[in-house]
Parts: sequence; structure tokens; C-alpha cells
Amino acid sequence: MAYGFEAKNDNGKVIINDTIENLHFIGKATRGSNNAAYGDFPGYGGSNDALDGRVIHYYTITCSGTPVAFIKPADYSRWHGIIKQSVSGTTWSFDVMVSGTSTSNPPDIYCFVNADDIPVPSGETYGMQVFKSNGSTKTFDSRRQPLAITGGGTASAPPSDPTNSSGLPGVSSGHSWNYSSNDHDFRSSNRYTAHSDSAANTSNAMFACSSLAQAVYKRQQHGYKESCSGCFPFIGCINCQDHHSTAAWWVMYRQAFRLRSGNFDSGWTGYAAGYSFSSSFESGGWFGGGGGSYSTGSMPYTAKTINLQSNAFIIADSSRYN
Amino acid sequence: MAYGLSVFKTNGSLGFSTADITWQTLDQFTVAANASVSNTYNEASGMTIIAQRQLVNVPPNSQEDYVPNVTISGTTVNVAPQSGLSSSQCIVHVLAQDA
Repeated sequence: MAYGFEAKNDNGKVIINDTIENLHFIGKATRGSNNAAYGDFPGYGGSNDALDGRVIHYYTITCSGTPVAFIKPADYSRWHGIIKQSVSGTTWSFDVMVSGTSTSNPPDIYCFVNADDIPVPSGETYGMQVFKSNGSTKTFDSRRQPLAITGGGTASAPPSDPTNSSGLPGVSSGHSWNYSSNDHDFRSSNRYTAHSDSAANTSNAMFACSSLAQAVYKRQQHGYKESCSGCFPFIGCINCQDHHSTAAWWVMYRQAFRLRSGNFDSGWTGYAAGYSFSSSFESGGWFGGGGGSYSTGSMPYTAKTINLQSNAFIIADSSRYN
Repeated sequence: MAYGLSVFKTNGSLGFSTADITWQTLDQFTVAANASVSNTYNEASGMTIIAQRQLVNVPPNSQEDYVPNVTISGTTVNVAPQSGLSSSQCIVHVLAQDA
């Protein structure tokens, strides 16, 4: 370059210049309420009732520019993912999903914005600023801590089947009427793609990677019986009634991530779940019993996996920003 | 250190130096539902470019929340709906690192 400013790191790579903005730390987002649910199937108490559970923690931060948010887990054994980021005016909101149902140990959300949008600290009139050639757009400002990264790469999509049981749940018939016994483990603790990264640790590492993949899966069981008021030689059965039942369990999953020592994992956490059951029996005719039906719950989604795409992830040391 | 650049915090502790590695930010923008965007960043010539996507909406209000595809060719970042699908509103962060 003929003029301007450029700083290269020990590996000869540019880390500050006058053409591209650095990201600077503006603070941790403020945590508000939370919503914990789905430690098991609501309305069901039989086999394979247990689910991973999830807590949605709600955070906000006010700033110009669009923040890049890093999740610093408080409990590294749990899965984390930002499932929503929205803005109203200059207030940004983050919905952060954490596996499990305990609302203790919520993560911290460290936010970074580009240099030109950082709030200028009052009373700090010294330091180093770098501007673009237009003389007005900042690319660096030492008064707010610049982002330094320790690792990262490309996070592959998690396995398309989010459930611990082998094979996807499906539909089966031939069960007895009103049969309802879930035979599929919908938890997803064993379903992830690991990425080796020496920067991943369980003490101070934080990561930026948003949740993209979504999945919905359902186990459905159909039951049936026929009952008749009587069966006679040469006549056959009379006043017969068909009885039908359907039991269904469904879980909706969102992609979530976990930091382990030496690994960054891309996996799943259940976001919502439900159980539905319906039973009906037709009228038995003039001398048979009356018809009727009963149902509870519903499945609002279509079973599928979408957004199985890779996404960039970045790991940084949170202790630099405390 | 014997040479290089160190930037210190107001409390005198080291905040950033030429021993560090970073990603710089080229752009952040929000892509509307079903929209396509193509941006070229000539200032990042010779650098590695990545793009992070963040969905704005969240299920269960709309389960089929398809994220748009991102492709990077040289210094051009293209964002477009997945083939044959409607894409949801999405925030895109474009970052660059000296290659």
C-alpha cells in the first residue's frame, strides 16, 4: 500500500488495516426471562417418555450495527444454540436454546460489532483509531477490545437422524385397540458430528455459530379391534363394531453445539414435543352399541429434516473480555 | 515482545497485539424472505471469506424455516433461496481473514 495503516501478526497475516473493519467487544447481552420445557412428552407417561429437555433464555443488547454473538457456556456438558436473532430499533434480541430443563447455569452472550458502530466510551480520549480513506469510517478503535480468535472452521451439519434409537421412527399398524407404548428413544444426546479443534476447551472457550438445521420426527401406532354382539352358525356375526385408535409422539429439533476439550460438536436438541391420541368406534347398529370418539393432542408439523448445511464457526477466549 | 504492535486496555493490560489472529468484518446485512443478494468485496482480494447465517424467525410458528444458500466465489458472496424452496429472512455476517 502507498499510504494508510496495516498491522500484520506474527504469521505475516493482516489483522488491522484501513480498508476492512475489525470487530470489537461491546459487552455481554442482558439476560431476561427463560422458558424450560420438554423433559418428557407432555400428556404421556409410558415407555420412552424421557426427552432431553430444553431451556430458552432470552437476551437483549442495545447497539448500532449488527452484533456477532458468541455463546460462553456455563455448563459445557450442555448443548447450546442461538435459534433466533431479531432487532427492534437498536435493541437486539437473542433466543438461546440450552439442552436440559435446569434453568441454572445460563450461558453468557458476548457481543461484538464492527469498529465504526462501537459506542465510544466516555472519558477515554486516548488510544489508537484507524480510519478508511474517506476519513470518517473507523476500522479499528483500541478503546473497545478487538476480537481475537483462537480457533474455528466449518461446522458440518449434524446427522440427519436426530434420534438416539437406530432408524427413524415410523408408522406401524396391527396393534390392539387403544395401544399406546412408545418404542423409540427420541433423545439426541448421541447424535452429533465432531470437529477437532485444539482451541475448544471447557473452561473459557466461547463460540459463534448459529443454529440452522431443523428436524421433526414422529412415531405413530395404529390400533384396531372388531367387536360383535354375537356370532352364530350359518348366520355369522351380527352388530359388529370397528374400533380404531392412533397414538403419536413427535419431537421438533433444532441444531445445537457443544464445546468439548479438543472438539466442537454439531448436534441436536429437542425444541418442542407432543403426544396425541385418538380413539373411535363405530355404531353397532340397531342392537349394537353406539359409536363415539375421543382425541387429545395434535401434531402441528410435517416430519422432515431441513437446512442440513455447513456453517462457519469461530472460537475465542472469553477471559479476554471479562 | 521485541517488535510488533501491542494495544493496551485502559487498565494497562494487553488487549490486542500482533501475536493475535482475528476475523475482520466485511459486511452485515439482512436478506429478506425469498430474496437474492450478490455482493463483491474487492478490498478482500486474496483473503479468506466466510459468511455466517442467522435465521430471524423461529419455529413453531413456521416450521419450514428454510435458510438461504450462501456461495462464495473469489470476493463475491451470493445469497439465494435453496432450489425450489421459499427461504426465510436471514442475517448474514461476512468475515474476512488474511489468507
